[in-house]
Amino acid sequence: MTEPAIISVRGVNKEFNSGGKRSVTALQNIDLTIERGEFVSLLGPSGCGKSTLLRVLADLTEPTSGTVTLNGKTPRAARSDRDYGMVFQQAGLFDWRSVQRNVELPLQVAGADKPTRRAKAQEMLELVRLSEFAKHFPWQLSGGMQQRVAIARALSADPAILFMDEPLGALDEMNRERLQGELLRIWADTRTTVVFVTHSISEAVFLSSRIVVMSARPGRIAASIDVDLPYPRTSATRTTEAFFAKVTEARTALHSELAEQAA
Amino acid sequence: MAVTQAVQPSRLRAQLGRVLPVAVTALVILGAWQLAVIVFDVPSFILPTPTAILSAFAGQFTTIMSASRITVEAVLLGLLMGVAWGVVVALVLSRFPSMSGPVLTVAVIINCAPIVALAPIFNNWFGVTSLVSKAGVAAVMVFFPVLVNTTRGLLQVSPLHLELMQSLAAKPRHVALMLRLPNALPFLFNALKLGSTLAVIGVIVTEYFGGPSNALGVYIASQASLPRFDYAWAGILVASVLGLAMFGVVSLLERLLMPWHSSLHDENP
Repeated sequence: MTEPAIISVRGVNKEFNSGGKRSVTALQNIDLTIERGEFVSLLGPSGCGKSTLLRVLADLTEPTSGTVTLNGKTPRAARSDRDYGMVFQQAGLFDWRSVQRNVELPLQVAGADKPTRRAKAQEMLELVRLSEFAKHFPWQLSGGMQQRVAIARALSADPAILFMDEPLGALDEMNRERLQGELLRIWADTRTTVVFVTHSISEAVFLSSRIVVMSARPGRIAASIDVDLPYPRTSATRTTEAFFAKVTEARTALHSELAEQAA
Repeated sequence: MAVTQAVQPSRLRAQLGRVLPVAVTALVILGAWQLAVIVFDVPSFILPTPTAILSAFAGQFTTIMSASRITVEAVLLGLLMGVAWGVVVALVLSRFPSMSGPVLTVAVIINCAPIVALAPIFNNWFGVTSLVSKAGVAAVMVFFPVLVNTTRGLLQVSPLHLELMQSLAAKPRHVALMLRLPNALPFLFNALKLGSTLAVIGVIVTEYFGGPSNALGVYIASQASLPRFDYAWAGILVASVLGLAMFGVVSLLERLLMPWHSSLHDENP
């Protein structure tokens, strides 16, 4: 018997201003299954609904129809149980908290006692290699470091799933590639299931075990591409033939969708 | 650490660079004042020289200081009452965001009225010699900016932070304690800086309309009517220093309580 999928999406539709004059179909008939331990990227142009899909999974917005199961529960129950951690495009750290106390936030909300919070936050800061900055305040950190703190925060309550909404989008290319490497190492260390929203093809190929290509208006799934490049992937991976081949495959899937829309 | 030490001298120089022009400007103004009074032979009941005011202050030191003590008590009591009420009402108001808009608008309108004009009324209500009538006017003057600012701080929370708390399944009390209150703190301190000087104005002016015989405002008013204008000016000097000191204490508290706040540090650590 196989383990049940950690994320299962069946026939999900999402309409904004449903029934109104300006109703917009953000998601149309989405079916998606994600197995435990996968690193899945939702790849697509702006407006394809990839962030909306992530927000539906995270129970930050409700689908108009369809069902979502997360870790065997409804998204609402999964959110209450803190089954997932979330990283946004902006780090969104609390200015008034030290790095350490920012990482402690999810545990504090969950009601963990102080020694547990301390220990767990220190462990997480080691994971993102920022231990020596525990007592710093967010304004003292660079954008990339802030985002690493946000990742530590998202993982501090040991969630089964990590949702990431264009988390590296605000960083420059150098930092971005470095953090992609970091992220893969963290993923390997924690074996967390990752759902990663991006509009960068090379980023999706480098990180993911699978890419879900989405198309816009209405947002739906156009293709699913397995990325069978072996882990651990390093910067050398970026220069291999196999990497280019996957980038081309993903680009073709994206562009054929765009061409279809233009036609 | 090495970095901090390397930064230190230049920071000191930067601070000196800020303070020095202010000091020079103040000295130039005082010098011009002194010179103008002497050159144009201005009679001292119109305008005494800065040095005459200083010597009047030295001569009246004990009287003025004991008068200041009573006034300081009224200022502190008024500030405390105004802040306490302002924060409490802001907390209640922030629970009803739909109500807060209209209420804040009304508060801003009332705040445009010269509240200090209530001074004779308050003296009538609570007794001319009572501390409460002075502190009361100060409290009303402090109340409105504290209310308006604190409510804004509680409500103007980053949507991203709210969504983060939502993703953590945070309860309303978590959002209030961990997000809204710390978010409102810088807003509250802005109101406090304004309020600390307003409280001094409120108390002094109310004392002009009568108060315990040894209050600073009463002293200024009675010396002016005697007329001993150099003494009145000495009283005004102390009242100004009092306002400055209140502002300084609040600024210091702000630095101590909110070391993280962006307005308090330079663009680079």
